[in-house]
Amino acid sequence: MSHLINTRVFAAVGLAAAAATLAACGSSSNSSSNTNTVKQLPLKPGESPSQQQMYNGKKGGTLQVYNQEDFEHLDPGAAYFSVDYEAMYATQRPLYAYMPNNDTLAAPDLATAQPTISDGGKTVTVHIKPNVMFGPPVNRAVTSADVAYAIERGANPNIGNAYFGPYFGAIVGAEDAKGKVIANGGPIAGITTPNPTTIVFKLSSPTASLLVGALSLPLSAPVPASFAKPMDAKKPTTYGSKYVVATGPYMFKANPKTGEFLNVGYFPGKSSVLVRNPNWNAKTDPRPAYLDQININVGGDQTVIGRQVLTGTNTMENDTPANTIVKLAYQKYPSQIVFTPGAGDHYMAVDNKHGPFKNVNVRRAVWAAIDRTAVVRVLGGTLVAAPMTHFIYPGVAGYDQSGGASGPQVPWNVNPAGNLAVAMKYMKAAGYPTGKYTGSATIQYVGENAPTATARDEIGVQALTALGFKVHATYVDQATMYSKYCGVPAQNIDACPNVGWIRDFADPQTVLYVPFWGPGIVPTNNSDWGQVDDPKINAAMDKAALVVGDAARAQAWANIDRMLVDQAVAIPEDFDFQPNIVGSGVRGISDIWDIGTWDYSFSSLK
Amino acid sequence: MLTFIIRRILWGILAMAIVIAITFLLFYLLPSANPAVLRGGRNASPATIAYISAELGLDKPIYTQFWDYVKNIVLHFDLGYSYYSSASVTGLIADRLPATISLAGGAIVVTLLAGIPVGIVSAIKRRTFFDRAAMGTALVFVSAPIYWLGLIALYLFAADIGRFRVFDGSGSYVALSTDPGRWFGSLILPWIVLAATLAAVYARVLRGSLIDVMGEDYIRTARAKGLRERRVIMRHGVRSAITPIVTLIGLDVGSLLGGAVLTESVFDIPGIGRLNYDAIAHSDFPIVQGTVLLAALFIIAANIVVDIAYAYLDPRVRPS
Amino acid sequence: MADAERGVTGLQAEGGEIAARSPLALFWRRFRKDRVAVVSLGFIIFLILIAAGAPLVVGLVGIPGPTVQNLSLTDAFGSPLGPGSGHPFGVDELGRDVMARVIYGTRVSLEVGIIGTVVATMIGTVLGLIAGFYRGAIDTLLSRFTDVVLSFPVLVLGLGLGAACGVRGCAGGLIQPGLGTILFIIAIVNWTYVYRIVRGQVLSLREKDFVEAARALGASDSRIIFREILPNLIAPLIVYSSLLIPLNILLEAGLSFLGVGIRPPAASWGQMIADATNIFQTAWWYMTFPGLALLLTVLAFNLLGDGLQDALNPRSGR
Repeated sequence: MSHLINTRVFAAVGLAAAAATLAACGSSSNSSSNTNTVKQLPLKPGESPSQQQMYNGKKGGTLQVYNQEDFEHLDPGAAYFSVDYEAMYATQRPLYAYMPNNDTLAAPDLATAQPTISDGGKTVTVHIKPNVMFGPPVNRAVTSADVAYAIERGANPNIGNAYFGPYFGAIVGAEDAKGKVIANGGPIAGITTPNPTTIVFKLSSPTASLLVGALSLPLSAPVPASFAKPMDAKKPTTYGSKYVVATGPYMFKANPKTGEFLNVGYFPGKSSVLVRNPNWNAKTDPRPAYLDQININVGGDQTVIGRQVLTGTNTMENDTPANTIVKLAYQKYPSQIVFTPGAGDHYMAVDNKHGPFKNVNVRRAVWAAIDRTAVVRVLGGTLVAAPMTHFIYPGVAGYDQSGGASGPQVPWNVNPAGNLAVAMKYMKAAGYPTGKYTGSATIQYVGENAPTATARDEIGVQALTALGFKVHATYVDQATMYSKYCGVPAQNIDACPNVGWIRDFADPQTVLYVPFWGPGIVPTNNSDWGQVDDPKINAAMDKAALVVGDAARAQAWANIDRMLVDQAVAIPEDFDFQPNIVGSGVRGISDIWDIGTWDYSFSSLK
Repeated sequence: MLTFIIRRILWGILAMAIVIAITFLLFYLLPSANPAVLRGGRNASPATIAYISAELGLDKPIYTQFWDYVKNIVLHFDLGYSYYSSASVTGLIADRLPATISLAGGAIVVTLLAGIPVGIVSAIKRRTFFDRAAMGTALVFVSAPIYWLGLIALYLFAADIGRFRVFDGSGSYVALSTDPGRWFGSLILPWIVLAATLAAVYARVLRGSLIDVMGEDYIRTARAKGLRERRVIMRHGVRSAITPIVTLIGLDVGSLLGGAVLTESVFDIPGIGRLNYDAIAHSDFPIVQGTVLLAALFIIAANIVVDIAYAYLDPRVRPS
Repeated sequence: MADAERGVTGLQAEGGEIAARSPLALFWRRFRKDRVAVVSLGFIIFLILIAAGAPLVVGLVGIPGPTVQNLSLTDAFGSPLGPGSGHPFGVDELGRDVMARVIYGTRVSLEVGIIGTVVATMIGTVLGLIAGFYRGAIDTLLSRFTDVVLSFPVLVLGLGLGAACGVRGCAGGLIQPGLGTILFIIAIVNWTYVYRIVRGQVLSLREKDFVEAARALGASDSRIIFREILPNLIAPLIVYSSLLIPLNILLEAGLSFLGVGIRPPAASWGQMIADATNIFQTAWWYMTFPGLALLLTVLAFNLLGDGLQDALNPRSGR
């Protein structure tokens, strides 16, 4: 599973030559002369993220960041959002962390080497570096007990961790036989620390590869028990909201005696200041940490922020720039923008359990009807998006095996620009002889009310309307959309456009499992928005979860992707490619594993 | 008089209580999102959600929840905590208030400096070119949405992105205590934009009011007594014509202190209005409630001040 | 919205200066002489005709309907094409014709402006008559309640109700989603202004000789209220309503700007401006034409209101 895509941050931008070709083949013929010009330009101006030079930057200086979106959680135990990760991986050191250019294998960070898996996939042993220090006010060496505590507190409800159950639940003593988390923040039997530099995880099932992947999440970053325990007893904890201790090269500016950073280095909704962590030892860390200080300003109009960044010097935007800014940057400041492939996907979740979309042929009809090239256009063109053709998105293992850019060649998928004739054929197959919906249901359609999001959602409405559906479209803020409507099956929402799930780490399971595994449907905060619950798919997923070996896992999950396409469990919209912009004096390094956001520990001033 | 003031204040307190109740009902009975889910974060398990519901008291009867909420406000001046950052709402408001006060105070000053002279001159030079041009412009400002004016102003005059790079642009706000010069510079454009729309109203109201007053008998008497026209206008005319402006200032200060949502958003000024707007966009109810209560407090207080000022200025206004 | 609050306070202050002595006929005769106001009235009638005949107008101009998407009218970056043949006002990011959307947007603005105002005026008038005539406890209660309503930020109320009632409505169907929510908000907030003005007028009218006379003749309360007092309120009510309409249009635009309001794909000017902020620099036409339509419409109602006010109270005439 993976953290939820925040469309606001993430309005998505696009990639590759294949995508450009595909869009050009679409029926949406382009009368604008601009199109041709664009095709002749190199697709990725500036450095390509995967070839970017991570080292040899200039040391020193202060970076000025303009973000529209603020952090959500700064507790390593709760952070689960791409913007949070920008600060998390600069201030905390989990056992493993992805280097900017590599989204397939996490490198040892606090750990000394890749983990040892033994006992047939039921034991994982990790050794940690002995000379990593906690920042002020703790000022002591990190031990394996601090890592154990960090993971154990993930089960403490006061922390509000979102993924302890799915990823760490297999640790002996974490869950009962029914899969209910029984740990509550106290010691877990399956986590032992034979010495200060060794931590051992005993699992109740042979799912070591999933656990190893999850050790790159911020939850495995050490938390000093003596310091944090009294805070963790509060509801909610004040660790990460008022006090926090760093292990990474940077720390939030804080009171050196108490570690209090709220209103010192973090002003919610307003600004943050990251400074160097005095206890950080460069010899223990692959991160160069060139910058001396990072000032993050939050808020403002997107087009204004974008211009400020492009016309500025030591400036950076670390969430998604507006379309017009992407265009401006591409045309006038091409060395100040990069596009990162593999930043996720978006699709329309449709209710597989009730209403008209219960019928697989109706779902195929909508899939055939929707103009995915139009979605790409609205998002800003082929630089920032490509038509989505299946569920494992570019950059995730299994993408090629499940069809690559063009996807499975089933009739409802081969026309990215939409084909009403094909769609009507499936409507007929679904029992509507005219090829149009003749039932009495009104489609309840709930989307997000951000400008670009609403426009792209109207394309889905268009497709449904063309098939004869009466659509009742409502646009609300994102929190409302998920927590009140789309995440609550009892609300009987028929379609939720523009949803998506991005990987938590390099494993295709983290993309497909949460949104399509039937037994995971819950009455509130449900993330299987379309209530997809197909016994065959569920069984295949249970089996694929236990597969060992990267290639085998990629193939197993690619097969599941094919089943999802066959059942048309959701209506595809787009694959995202993330644009990121900097000022003229900044050498930005992009994290291709974290939807392409800039990495504060690698970026430098020119 | 004293009983009038006391009664007015008591009414104000009651009004606040009703506002608290309405806010509570609006956001607890008709929540736009599930608070426990927001607090629990993405993909939190049902057990975690249930735990958080209990922790937030969402499983208690509605009257108990209301009582707890009111008790915390009254006894501890505690408005709760943000669902996302877990920062205290009272602390956030204290942190944001200086920016809002800066914006509101300056805007009112600019408004008075522009609106009052224009209103007086228009009234005196009625039907002249100046009057028509001034009132026409004022009407255009009254009719234009402020977010639109703000964006246009930025694209024309902001130092970083404008066509004519004159004033500091969006996001340049610094606290007065940090650097008074930059504080002033960063607020010029927002003050002008906010004042343009306010001054338009003031000028129109003052003009109308002054024209009415100048037709009154006592003005004719004053003129007949041979007083200089300038003196007649300033001492007798403007003095009584200005009362509606007093009302306007009171109410506008009240509502501006509650946060100029759109102006603060467009110019990226970290004040109460933006706090409120961001909170709404994220369904962060404790902050929404806190800012609504603050805004209501300012408006009710401004109403009381205006009423009392009126009672002093005009003894005919008897408490009803 | 700051806009709404500001405008309304202005209205209240202006309201204090108006007397209600002129019979309707006199009022009309004076109004006819005000050329600006008559032109404004003409423009408003023109708008009403456009709104009523929107499909016809769009057909005559020969442009596609307001919800017809055509992404081939955007460039490779998704930027819409500007004004040109076939699309006099350009297109939006979905390739929809901006002119057609501006024309259909007239419907929403006028509907909200006029219906919202009528409802608010009716509620405000009835309650104002009661409070002003009977005074006492009912007056105190209603007057203090208006304080509460006026101290509640309109936008927050709008955004809260919009999110809560957007999908299936709420309060047992009292608040319908979309237009219904906007009308509810306008009615619940704006009756207070009318109420305050009517109450003030009634307080002074009830002391007048002709009311005393009617009372002495044994007229019933309802006869005094509806036969003696109400006719004297018609002219000022017309004036205040005409000034409330532009405020309501701006309020609708503001709410739509923030994403509460008319259900897409229906077009609303405020919503179009909101969508345009993101592409303002490359697509000036998308923000300009709805903004201009909004400005002209509000301006026309304001000028009309001014003219009506002058006709009512000739001393303030220009």
